[in-house]
Amino acid sequence: MISLRGVSLVYPNGTHALDNITVDIAKSSFVFLVGRSGAGKSSLLRLLYHEEAPTRGEVLVENVRVDKLKRSRVPYLRRELGVIFQDYKLLADKTVWENVAFAMQVTGAHTRDVNRQVPRMLDLVGLSHKHRMFPSELSGGEQQRTAIARALVNNPKVLLCDEPTGNLDPANTGEIMELLLRINLKGTTVLVATHNASIVDRLRRRVIRMENGKIVSDEDRGYYFLGDGTHGLGQTHLLP
Amino acid sequence: MDWGRLTFFLREVLRSFTRNPLMQITAIGTVMMTILILGGFVFGRQTFVMVGNDIIQKIEISVFLNDNLSPAAVSRLHKQIAADPRVRAVAYISKAAGLKHMRDRLRGQIDTSLLTANPLPDALRVKVVDPDKVTEIAATIQKMPGVATTVYAEDAVAKLLRVADIFGRAGFFVIGMLLFIAAIIIGNTIRLTVFARRREIRIMRLVGASSSYIRAPFICEGFLHGVIGAGLAIGLLAIAQFHFLPKLQAALPFVPMRIDAHEDIIYALTLLAVGATVGTASSWLSVGRYLRT
Repeated sequence: MISLRGVSLVYPNGTHALDNITVDIAKSSFVFLVGRSGAGKSSLLRLLYHEEAPTRGEVLVENVRVDKLKRSRVPYLRRELGVIFQDYKLLADKTVWENVAFAMQVTGAHTRDVNRQVPRMLDLVGLSHKHRMFPSELSGGEQQRTAIARALVNNPKVLLCDEPTGNLDPANTGEIMELLLRINLKGTTVLVATHNASIVDRLRRRVIRMENGKIVSDEDRGYYFLGDGTHGLGQTHLLP
Repeated sequence: MDWGRLTFFLREVLRSFTRNPLMQITAIGTVMMTILILGGFVFGRQTFVMVGNDIIQKIEISVFLNDNLSPAAVSRLHKQIAADPRVRAVAYISKAAGLKHMRDRLRGQIDTSLLTANPLPDALRVKVVDPDKVTEIAATIQKMPGVATTVYAEDAVAKLLRVADIFGRAGFFVIGMLLFIAAIIIGNTIRLTVFARRREIRIMRLVGASSSYIRAPFICEGFLHGVIGAGLAIGLLAIAQFHFLPKLQAALPFVPMRIDAHEDIIYALTLLAVGATVGTASSWLSVGRYLRT
């Protein structure tokens, strides 16, 4: 369960990234966060994994008050969350296997558990046969699948995805979304911030639409655009 | 014991350590030079202190007695001075012995056979326990009946004590400065390493690595800078001691330089500990600052 109550985030330069956000996300749900660049999607995700602290309001993730979390407790929160990004954030000098294992090793996991869990994750994302390859030898989709395997290797309850298909072609985008759905079916809450209208419209899941740091609409089986062809507030029109 | 975890950790340390050889060489070289200077300085200071102590230990007060003092009075005076706890030893030098000693000392320089009478008075040579107290002991003796005058190297004692004091204070200051410089250079090297690995550190933080886990390889790296640098310096100091010290000792036979093997080991371990401490502490502070941001 994720819950934000009256959350605002103002950056030191005075930019209001989030403005009085209140939202609840149920356990095991699949939610899209949509909106233009600068709408506040990534800022909202950053609050959840404590990369930022809210200026005001309460942030709860799995009953933990993230906004009140001590610095020393942040690593333990992050072990409960998986995060993936548009640019994958893989380590170029480590193989696929090492990149995935790294996420367990740095949390002090036992080697026996690492050796058991990493192959499972590579199998899940369909990269078992490429475990010795380096990121530079993989396609964009394969790199993102490696990042997903790394995000899942510690069995997180929540998977946060910040533009996961931003650098991918439609075929790879489809594969990644299929993978995220499968992960969600296993009970992991998945929150996806995206600009990709086609995947949102195809999957028809809950869509939280943001604009200027505010939530402007929240639909259970929504589309990327509102019925009038806008993101909300009537500012963005559907492209032909 | 999870050997796999240990292997992973050591591999990470080694990978980080071998990633920027030039930077590592700079840091190790700085520690080496610092410890080398520190070691040389400590040796120089020790030699100076030994020379100083040697001279100070030889400082004595010559107590010249009044003429015609009876042997009983001389003996009383001798006992009275020897009873002073600040006095280490008292020796009686008769007029005749004093003249013989003078003749021996001046042989070949002055023709002492021209002396028709013994001009020297009877004297007592007083050695003191603490050279710092020589002035007040001389003043006490001066007041005793039967004492004509007391003579000691007043200025030399004062200067030597002052120089020893200054040398000691300056030594600590110089050592402190050198260690500070080494710490700054190691700290900067670690900061550069941290900067080079910032992407990796960011990923480590994202997947939930604790600060102490992220910090540990860098601390090890700083420790290695300190230990390797100090080890190399100790090696060079040992070479200098075995090859050059005997030659120096032969050239300056009156300067005491001997350091025994037991002291050598303590001395080397201390330098190693200093290097390790400086390396560890500076990297700890350096990474800590980065992780707080």
